[in-house]
Amino acid sequence: MLRYILRRLGFMLLTMLLVSIVVFLVSEVAPGDVARHVLGQFATDEQVELLRNQMGLNQPLYVRYFDWLVGNDWRHDSKVGMPLTYTRARPGDELEWWAVEPDGTLVQWRMKSGSLEQIRITTDGERTLVPFDEWDTNKDGEEIFWGVDNANHVVLWVKGSEDSTGPASAGRTMTKGGGREYYPLKKGLLRGDPGISLRTNRPVGPTLTRRLRNSFSLAVIAFAFIMPIALLLGILAGLREGSPADRAISLFSLITTSIPEFASGVFLILVFSFWLDLLPGASVFVDDSTPLENPKMIVLPILTLTLVEVGYVARMTRASMVEVMNAPYIRTAVLKGLPYRRIVFVHALRNALMAPITVIMLHVNWLVGGIVVVEAVYGYPGVGLYLLDSAMFKDINAIEAGSMVMVALAVSTQLIADIIYTFLNPRIRYT
Amino acid sequence: MSTNAHLQKYTNRLRKLGQGLSIISNSRVAVIGLSIILFWVFIALFAPIIAPRDPLAQDSSAINQDPSTTYLLGTDHLGRDILSRLMYGTRTILTLAPTSVLTSVCIGTTLGLISGYFGGLIDEVVMRLLDAVMAFPAILLYLIIIAAIGPSALNVVIAITFVGTPGIARLVRSLTLDIRTRDYIRAAETRGENPFYIMFVEILPNVRGPLIIDSLLRVGYAIFAIGTLGFLGLGLPPPEPDWGGMVADARKFIWINPLGVLWPILAIASLVVGLNLFADGLREETTRYQ
Repeated sequence: MLRYILRRLGFMLLTMLLVSIVVFLVSEVAPGDVARHVLGQFATDEQVELLRNQMGLNQPLYVRYFDWLVGNDWRHDSKVGMPLTYTRARPGDELEWWAVEPDGTLVQWRMKSGSLEQIRITTDGERTLVPFDEWDTNKDGEEIFWGVDNANHVVLWVKGSEDSTGPASAGRTMTKGGGREYYPLKKGLLRGDPGISLRTNRPVGPTLTRRLRNSFSLAVIAFAFIMPIALLLGILAGLREGSPADRAISLFSLITTSIPEFASGVFLILVFSFWLDLLPGASVFVDDSTPLENPKMIVLPILTLTLVEVGYVARMTRASMVEVMNAPYIRTAVLKGLPYRRIVFVHALRNALMAPITVIMLHVNWLVGGIVVVEAVYGYPGVGLYLLDSAMFKDINAIEAGSMVMVALAVSTQLIADIIYTFLNPRIRYT
Repeated sequence: MSTNAHLQKYTNRLRKLGQGLSIISNSRVAVIGLSIILFWVFIALFAPIIAPRDPLAQDSSAINQDPSTTYLLGTDHLGRDILSRLMYGTRTILTLAPTSVLTSVCIGTTLGLISGYFGGLIDEVVMRLLDAVMAFPAILLYLIIIAAIGPSALNVVIAITFVGTPGIARLVRSLTLDIRTRDYIRAAETRGENPFYIMFVEILPNVRGPLIIDSLLRVGYAIFAIGTLGFLGLGLPPPEPDWGGMVADARKFIWINPLGVLWPILAIASLVVGLNLFADGLREETTRYQ
């Protein structure tokens, strides 16, 4: 069993690796340019080119991929000549890249009116600005300096060059007299850093965690409603196959599952927030507050998910229940004179619930899709909407991180489903 | 002899058709589903004749209007006639959905036949690849594919084909595995028939039944997906009338024109429900006879 699980986990990692490569390739050939997206349609081509340079988009694809996967600070620290570290300089600061001096002082450089300036933060948190003039001379006789700037790049500055006027937008603070070469520093996904969102210019990690938490709460609450309702309906329908109750439940579940989430979602908005004016029609809340603090806002998303999902699970349960109730051993139990209640609860349910449980776990993929749509309908700040926005923007780091999470989720739920099934089914367990 | 044989053939066909119809008419659910589908097919076929207006014509003096005698279902945010857009939108969705299912049936059937008939390494490779595709949330695949190749009618078909193919391949493979062991296949092999002849002439006709029902369900799902893609802005580029896109547009103006969002929702819901009722009724009736 352990070997089986390990093999499946290995397979999962392999899948994720392949997916990450495919996503990278795909986003490479996709139309549109993220630098152009960031700067807007009125930016000049020079500005776009400069931003592409600063974002490292001009490097070859495989270099970018490996930077994303395993990081590139260890490739670039020799340029700066100092170890590089990704840390919060002082409590409460953002995570940033710094060069570290031997005594632990963190250093960045920035260009200010034509000359370099050093930002130093000592180990006890004292920040000083020091004019900097230790230029090297390269073989062409230019005075150059490799350093770390305050926007997470390793930069090659050339003294007195008029190379660049950086565009300032979307929080990117580039000023006159930028560098000649830029290498955006990355720690790499394998070392726990999914990089910086090209869309918001903020680290993907924290945003994604928050979004995941939101989506997860939505999914868990929805699941807590869906399962009992669906199992109950399915069992009721299955016990009385062909009765009016069964027909009604079957028809109801067929109809609710076949209507797309966006249609039922918008319909619910129309009814509950427009006509009845009971609930808010959008679930937009500030990123820091949790969905649980705004219970009113998540009623409609959950109702939408429940409507779509209940039918599916109920139909599964019904089919399984019908099959079990027609099995010879149930007939034997009836003929033995066992009370009906005991037959249903002790004999039938155990076997009848086995199939739905695994099918439901496999259904997680479907639920994920539903959640993406529901998030889009209600503007709910979850991981699905994040992925959708990022895909529209070609924000490769965010897309990659989001896809990895989703793939891991999908594959691991399948693994869990298989394991649960093995434990529920003695015929498999004992062979 | 030939006239007799022909006659025999046609009466056989007629009888089969009759059986098919009686299966449908036996199930009230299937009849209701079929009528809904036929209603929309009718609208799609005759959209240019029955649509009161040009679906793309904008009237800036009549924006977001309620239903009136001029605009039977009202107008959208650009002053376009919602009824006409709905009618033309039927054409889009009723072309794209069957097309994408048809292509995925072709590709999936071929893969499934090859995989199931040859077995061995080919089977292993094909199935592992398809498993990998199936492991993904469909929505993620749509996002990645559409993000890569851009939103257009053709690309929607490509995306839905890609997502739908593995399921069909699996179904056909499992049926093929069963049929492969039959005597008539053995006979064909002994005759020295070409493997592709065996696959497509001997096996394929025998997987037809389950495949047809599965495809019907898939058309319903394809419509579901096309609507969703349109709603997410990954469907047809504007100004093409596309139901999902119409819902997305109207949703922004829901406070001004609540009915504008209701019509496309009702349209898509009724079509998908109709298809599912039909497929479900058909499946129930056919399994009852088996």
